[in-house]
Amino acid sequence: MNLPATQDQPKTQLGRFFFAKEVPFGVALVRMLLPLAAGTPMFMRFPRVRELYTADGSTVQMFELFGHGAVLPVLPPNLAVPLYSLLLICLLMAVVGFRTRLSLGIASTLYIYFNFLDGVGTMTKYSVIASHLLVLLTVSNCGAVWSVDAFLKKRAMGGANVTLPTFAVWPARLIQLLFAHIYFGAAITKIQTDSFFSGEQMRYWMLSNWNYENPVGEVMAMWAPMLLVSAYMAVVWEMMFPFLVWRPIGRLVVLGLGATFHFMTWLTLGLYIFPAICISGYFAFASERDVIIVRQFFRKLNIQRFFSWPVVAGKQVLARMPQAVPAAVVWSCLAAFCAIVGTEAELRMDIYGANTAEGGYRLKPMDATVARAMISKEQRVREQDKFFNFEIGTRTVGELLANRRSEFQFGELMLAQANLNPPHEDMWLECLLVDEENRTIEQFGQFVTRDMLRANFSYKFGNKLVPGNYQMVLKSANQEIYRRKFALNGTPEPTANNNTLLTN
Amino acid sequence: MSRWKNLIVLSFIGVYVSFLSWGVMAHALKVGTCGNTLSYFVVWDMFCGWTAWDARTHIIAEDAKGNYFEMREPWGEFHPFGHVARIHYDNTNHLLPKHIDNVMKHTIHEGIDRVYVVEEVWPKQYNLPPNLYAHYFERPNDKLSYFHLRAICAEDGTPLTINPDWHTQQRLNSVYDNPRLQRQSKQATAMYSTLFTPTSQSSGQSLNSSYSTGLSTN
Repeated sequence: MNLPATQDQPKTQLGRFFFAKEVPFGVALVRMLLPLAAGTPMFMRFPRVRELYTADGSTVQMFELFGHGAVLPVLPPNLAVPLYSLLLICLLMAVVGFRTRLSLGIASTLYIYFNFLDGVGTMTKYSVIASHLLVLLTVSNCGAVWSVDAFLKKRAMGGANVTLPTFAVWPARLIQLLFAHIYFGAAITKIQTDSFFSGEQMRYWMLSNWNYENPVGEVMAMWAPMLLVSAYMAVVWEMMFPFLVWRPIGRLVVLGLGATFHFMTWLTLGLYIFPAICISGYFAFASERDVIIVRQFFRKLNIQRFFSWPVVAGKQVLARMPQAVPAAVVWSCLAAFCAIVGTEAELRMDIYGANTAEGGYRLKPMDATVARAMISKEQRVREQDKFFNFEIGTRTVGELLANRRSEFQFGELMLAQANLNPPHEDMWLECLLVDEENRTIEQFGQFVTRDMLRANFSYKFGNKLVPGNYQMVLKSANQEIYRRKFALNGTPEPTANNNTLLTN
Repeated sequence: MSRWKNLIVLSFIGVYVSFLSWGVMAHALKVGTCGNTLSYFVVWDMFCGWTAWDARTHIIAEDAKGNYFEMREPWGEFHPFGHVARIHYDNTNHLLPKHIDNVMKHTIHEGIDRVYVVEEVWPKQYNLPPNLYAHYFERPNDKLSYFHLRAICAEDGTPLTINPDWHTQQRLNSVYDNPRLQRQSKQATAMYSTLFTPTSQSSGQSLNSSYSTGLSTN
């Protein structure tokens, strides 16, 4: 690798920030990874193109969701399917860097168009981030290295060991600024979100199952203090990101935390594509120097030979490409071939079953009793479903009970906490302390208005009880909702004055 | 770089960074983002609130003979992000009429009289796996779903009757469950024949007529 001399750098700090010249390794890495991450769901949606993105299906444009009606033209399947196939092949050609700018330009346009056509099932914030990145890659020189284009250029120059090209770093800087804005904006959203800092919102998200499987999230959802700590850490990291990411050490810290954060969203929320797209974009932070350091590290380990086979194989394939055939012709033939094959494949899939013996599918009959029960007058919400849980312990973190306990000592203060599922009406809640024979020893009650998310009851174990087994019972509308058993151990505190009741 | 190329690059950088900054500012100050489709590209509200209740949408078709049909796509539901079908992500109900129309257009069926849109909700704690639920709540998972009639549509998806969604209905119920509010609403100004339209006074027309189309009020 021959690196160029870098004498002609801009003089001002801002000028160097945007127009310093470097070999575009960072954006080349983004180019190789992002189309794969963003393209994966688009490839999986190919069998549904007709239904999601054509006039023969049910499109809902983003413009409609914002009240502007259908602004974009919805194409018939015989046009939309070839265009969708073109999108997919352009994403793949961007990965290998073949006619890179053209491929990325077409891919960006079509990616944004098809996302706009399905505001319900396709357009999400990850597709917005991917759209930004694709547009910025299009205007960058990401195809100048590690690409078919670079190989063909080198071959055209007779295969000499040429110096790697350098370009102004502003496209990479814009990607970096994009991430700074994303995280800062996300922090503002969290600050504005009710009950984010008590962990309730995160808990309900983790229990939602609206994304892919998230078994770790389900366990974490029941661990309130962890959610609270995570919530604060996430917001602090997001706020700090723009201020640290361009500092030498700060960059490693916030990017490392970012990678951990996105990895955790995969584990706890079941997000796959979102983290993949963000991590792909992180490579825009890699400078020329970073790549050289990593390269030298791998050379020292002498492991690059294990990973060199794709490069060798690719070079062998490209070497067979006749030099007389212009790359533009090869690209056009590939694009046309994929569009035709895609159209034919989609027709053969016959999603609506138009080519079946009956000429279509029948609606599935439904049991009339079940159907009538579903459309008849609605049920009142069970009293127990107005509550998320009822726990007893001694300590709270961020107003949520942090330690579930089933054993207590004399002298301790017990906290009994009922968490409610909003929306609920104004309620009167009762908490009873009963013994093993279900005899009521104490009774507490309080109003819980419709805006409240939880109710706390406290009880100091003084000298009124004897060691043994007891229960805290939560009642609402005179119905028992929860019952928590506990054991009281130790010896009662000595009574200073027999005439004074020390507890409660 | 040529002068023109420099100018284009600088303009691009300026416009792009301004666009990003506008999104963050507008979102923070809650200005200019409502009804602006492009704001979706620069507002980073990935965490904008999750409810305590999980929800699904069921569509039931009824023909003239009183037979009911499940209006799920017979060719298979599309699951955009996991195992939940696309129709369930339609929280604004923009997809619903088009979905009904699309399923009707591409299926064989008798004449359909009515299409019922039913919302199913249940508290999210019942989503926990059985072992975790048993460990945490120490009682059997007796999940109960609540069904709420959201809308009645014609065969082509045109809404005929629309009800508030379940969450709104619950909030309305809790607010209206107040004798004082009920009394005040009953004592409020009557809706009919009590509104005065100044422009109609001079022309001698009836009090409630108006030159505008639609509602005949001011």
